[in-house]
Amino acid sequence: MTTTHVAAPPKPRVAAPSGMSIGDLARRPETGALIGTISVFVFFAIFGGGQFLSAGGAASWLNVAAELGIIAIPVGLLMIAGELDLSVGSVLASSSMTVAIVSGYWGAPVIVGIVAALLLGLVVGFLNGLLVTRTGVPSFIVTLATLFGLSGLTLGLSRVITGTTSVALDPGPQAKQLLGTLVAGKFEVAIFWWIAAIVVIGWLLHFSPWGNWVFAVGGDKESARTTGIPVQGVKIALFTASAFGAAVVGVIQSILYNSAQVANGQSFVFNSIIAVVIGGVLLTGGYGSVVGVVLGTLTFSIVSQGIYYTGWNSDWAALILGVLILAAVLMNNTFRRMALSYAPRMKKKG
Amino acid sequence: MSLKPALRPRWALATVAVLLLTTACNSGKPSADSSSSSDGTPAAAANAASGGTAIFVIGGKSDDPFWSKVKRGVDDAAKVVQAQGGSVTFLGPQTYDNLGPDAAKLVDSAVSQGAAAVIGPDWVPEAEDAAFKRVVQKGIPLFIYNAGGIEAANKLGALNYIGSDEYTAGKAGGEFFGKQGAKNVLCVNTVPGASNTEARCRGIADGVKATGGTSKQLPMPSSNFGNPTAVAQGIKASLLKDDTIDGVVTISTQDADSAASGIQQASAGDKVKLGTFDLDESQLNRIKDGKQLFAIDQQPYMQGYLSVSMAQGYLKYGLELPQKPLLTGPAVISKDNIDSAIAGAKAGVR
Repeated sequence: MTTTHVAAPPKPRVAAPSGMSIGDLARRPETGALIGTISVFVFFAIFGGGQFLSAGGAASWLNVAAELGIIAIPVGLLMIAGELDLSVGSVLASSSMTVAIVSGYWGAPVIVGIVAALLLGLVVGFLNGLLVTRTGVPSFIVTLATLFGLSGLTLGLSRVITGTTSVALDPGPQAKQLLGTLVAGKFEVAIFWWIAAIVVIGWLLHFSPWGNWVFAVGGDKESARTTGIPVQGVKIALFTASAFGAAVVGVIQSILYNSAQVANGQSFVFNSIIAVVIGGVLLTGGYGSVVGVVLGTLTFSIVSQGIYYTGWNSDWAALILGVLILAAVLMNNTFRRMALSYAPRMKKKG
Repeated sequence: MSLKPALRPRWALATVAVLLLTTACNSGKPSADSSSSSDGTPAAAANAASGGTAIFVIGGKSDDPFWSKVKRGVDDAAKVVQAQGGSVTFLGPQTYDNLGPDAAKLVDSAVSQGAAAVIGPDWVPEAEDAAFKRVVQKGIPLFIYNAGGIEAANKLGALNYIGSDEYTAGKAGGEFFGKQGAKNVLCVNTVPGASNTEARCRGIADGVKATGGTSKQLPMPSSNFGNPTAVAQGIKASLLKDDTIDGVVTISTQDADSAASGIQQASAGDKVKLGTFDLDESQLNRIKDGKQLFAIDQQPYMQGYLSVSMAQGYLKYGLELPQKPLLTGPAVISKDNIDSAIAGAKAGVR
């Protein structure tokens, strides 16, 4: 083919350099996100009062952040690689219905339901990846189709099998302890799963060679391919990971609330993208970090929960979220310009 | 957690019984959107128009758990109609995707099949009212049930409205709260701005006010929709922020599950009482276990049963009741009547 253009070198992955100056710090992709998180925390610490700063207040936003984060981290990776996944909402609903139907309605051991639900996530993610890489249809369209298709399938099958759209589940003590209990009566176990995901995926993205591939695929697919990176394999793996994350949250919610509803999860579609974008990931791919996504998730959940501690009318919560997203993206743009244009010039001079 | 192990097998049996019943009712109509009359002879209904009383009922899908109870009432009342030489035909849409126009078509279809009386819900007035007016213009007695209220019935020239009234239901719940000692009630509205949920919260507020307390609404932004964790944490935050709140009421059963978790996480279980609109298995179990104060039931069975009885009485003997609207709810289910409610649920009636 005529790939005559000079292959631009893949964007450098963001490793944690030791001994950062302030200039270095300002050039890191998560700096804007960090400032955002600190600002909203201080804001709600002032207006939310003592309860916001108490353990219960911290649990409020940590619990919401943990569930969102388990989805947002793999979605963030996918967006770094230049793709979107809108299907997470339906994957969440279908996995939570799967565990409830298999273990609650049919009465199979809860582990069977959990495995079935997680397998379902893996299969849907794999299909997403396969469709995107084989057909060349934009992932926005493919995963939008899966979002609708899977939600219809979930609703239809739930009605055919159980006759209702809401199925109760009695997960038993072991599953409860592992996935759906509240530590100290406040903190969801999901927080620990989130931390595990941060550590594992953070290492994969920033310290393993595989992470370099993700940035390369998102930066310039053609040059990534010419340098021998298995672009399709990387993408399929990333789609599978994001659907798996959604399936995990579906299982966690079913076990935590002892029931599943077919309408669950749709809010995660946009909330995960919002968290990733606030976290400094470029919508066009090739740029971002796990720390940034974590900060974006925290910012989002502090705002969405902090409003309840202010005692203000929560009618305004969505407005604050909207303003915040815009502010965060503008701030990220500023820092990204510094990171991408300012630093190399300095190096040339020095 | 709220499911008592001893209850589960009985519940499974109840569900199976309901399913069997619904399948039995459905068995006569493989594909068409009109279901058979209850005696299993669809054609009889149309032909009986001249002599007997052919009553046509428009309703929801019969595999919808709510509508399967309405249809149970229709079927039971139809036994009397048949004994008096008439017939009852239940027409329902295949899906809810295009509800207004589909329902309007069903109304027209009832007229063209020679209905002697039409019973229908005014779900989408813009789409359905024209069809209902054609019924009245033809001199066919019309009853509005389930949705629309007496205002819709009066506007269309229908004889009566049979169903519940959201505001009245809310008021009953608020008064019940007040009598149980609640002074500051939070009405959690996950669909703020919708007329029915706003009416429910307004009713709660007025009911609590009548007994000397206050109530305010907690509107949840749409970014929380379908995410029980966000709803639970929002309720917890409100309880921590304002420790005078001693009652929480939710507009749906799923939100009640979230609220139960939020109350528990705020360590307020012994102080804050929980109530909800609507009824399902987990509400019944929580009320039975003493973890929930009440649930407001609009008694769908009676909507079907009374509508058909009223139509038959009017057609056959010119009977009319002075109660307009004829309210089938609210019935407040609490620990005082929980056992009969559970028995009714097992029979597929509530």
